[in-house]
Amino acid sequence: MSTVARPDRAARKRLFRKMRQYRAIYLMIVPVFVYFAVFTFYPLGLGVVQSFQRVRLIGAPVYIGTDNYAFVLNDPIFILSMRNSIVVGTVSLFINLAVSLVLAISINEIRNRFAKSLIQTVTFLPYLFSWTVVGGMWLQILAHNGMVNNLLAALGLERLPFFTSSAWGRPVILFTNAWKQAGYFIVLYLASIVSIDPTLYEAARIDGASRMKQIRYIILPQAWPTVKTLLVLGATGVLRNFDQVLMMNRPATKDSIRTLLLYIYEEGITKLKIGTATAAATIVMLLTLVITVVVRRIARYEQDASY
Amino acid sequence: MRTPIFERSERVSRPFRNQLRPAERVFNWVLLMLVFLIMILPMLNVLAISFSSNTASQVADVTLWPKEFSTEGYTFIWNARNLGQAFKNSSFVSVVGTFFTVIISAMAGYVLIQRELPFRKAIATGVLITMMIPGDLTLVSIFSLNKSLGLIDSYLGLILNGLVSAFSIMLMRNYFLSVPESLSESARIDNASELRIFFSIYLPLSLPGLAAITFLDFIGKWNSFMIPLIITTKPELFTLPIILRQLTQPTDSTSGVLQVYDNARMAAIVITVIPLLLLYSLAQRFLIGGLTLGASKG
Repeated sequence: MSTVARPDRAARKRLFRKMRQYRAIYLMIVPVFVYFAVFTFYPLGLGVVQSFQRVRLIGAPVYIGTDNYAFVLNDPIFILSMRNSIVVGTVSLFINLAVSLVLAISINEIRNRFAKSLIQTVTFLPYLFSWTVVGGMWLQILAHNGMVNNLLAALGLERLPFFTSSAWGRPVILFTNAWKQAGYFIVLYLASIVSIDPTLYEAARIDGASRMKQIRYIILPQAWPTVKTLLVLGATGVLRNFDQVLMMNRPATKDSIRTLLLYIYEEGITKLKIGTATAAATIVMLLTLVITVVVRRIARYEQDASY
Repeated sequence: MRTPIFERSERVSRPFRNQLRPAERVFNWVLLMLVFLIMILPMLNVLAISFSSNTASQVADVTLWPKEFSTEGYTFIWNARNLGQAFKNSSFVSVVGTFFTVIISAMAGYVLIQRELPFRKAIATGVLITMMIPGDLTLVSIFSLNKSLGLIDSYLGLILNGLVSAFSIMLMRNYFLSVPESLSESARIDNASELRIFFSIYLPLSLPGLAAITFLDFIGKWNSFMIPLIITTKPELFTLPIILRQLTQPTDSTSGVLQVYDNARMAAIVITVIPLLLLYSLAQRFLIGGLTLGASKG
């Protein structure tokens, strides 16, 4: 037995020596793990525990089994929020992916450097702004008395009820989302388009391919991996729209755009119904996990495994 | 239809051959011009309203230039609605938070590039897993946590929540990976300690990376909305996003003591984005670099 254990013990000794040698290095990551333990994993676990409890004002919380889940799943507002989140989130993601791909290709065709950087800057800026800013801007611009309606009135057209009719709820959310986010996707698409090997164009040109053909057969395939990456990244956020909807909902449009996070916020923070809010959060978490896995499968997305 | 003569003339101007056809180019320009207008007009409108007088800002019109130029919106919102205090709060919380986030991310990123470090893979997995957890979904538990830690209505709470970001750590790691290993090897031969190698080789050679995460983290903290929303109740601790939200709530303008005119509302928006615009003009290169690297390898 000792003959088997000896190299084992030696290896362990080497490991310990190595770890002692890297003492300072381990210390450098300690704050990160303390933070994640307290602010990420603890709330995650706490949420799951609380979703099975009724939290009372006085005394310890009571275990109530799956009552909260039953309540949430039978709550028509939760179901409505779920439908909105899935529909609006998915449509929004695809619009943003498509619009910014077209714009990136389009911007890439501009030869005038000033015009190019101007349009890139202008499309990118809203990405830096928070939803409180962008939401506030569009609440003003699309108001009954705002720029768009004044323009329509000046043209002799009727003013549109952007915030006072439920029919306009989703279109406004989808449009402003693209307005704010497209610039970010454009930057990433352009980065992949710019890094295309120029000899590919050269070869295509010699073969007599027009520029449109080059876009179709060189640029699109080369940008495709970026589309996939952004799809996978975006999929994790589909059910997590909060800032935009909290900012931009109005009584008339609220039911057509309220999202799951808004539901969780209103249940948990506004109404202080911790149990139902955490149950809803747990359901959404599982749903997000499913969506992430499925989208990764569909996109055949392999994460950089070099870590 | 192309004639052979046209073909030949195109071949003469060969350097410009690799372009769209004229009609396609016109279409492209029209499309981008339209996009440009859709992007810029709202911004100009907001700016113009913010510099209009109280009464002029309420008048229905297409405004792209201030009407009855005045800064009364700015003075009103800065003083009467306490935007000044919120601006100070946002600045303080963002600057202090960013400072610590950058230090923590740089240290953690350095740990993740130690090739011979025992358990490095496990550590990296631990960091990466947190990127998969949708933190905003746990907002109710985050509220409970902050309450039990006594962080509600405190600057410490505003700074601590979101202090560590796996994204920044991975970004820093990616920048460190581009530092040639031969440098640290030779330093190690000279018996330099790991900390010394970190401070005198890796940090100075990764300044673009440090700049990128500094700016990205600052923007994230400046724009942070959900955390202050759930952990602040006292107006003295409100940050800019919270004030902006209150200003645009329909109930607020009718029940408030003072009416808030459109020019003041838009002035608040302009004030909020000024630091972001300054940052962008100063650090565009680092920002874009960081975002591109972050998405490709994050």
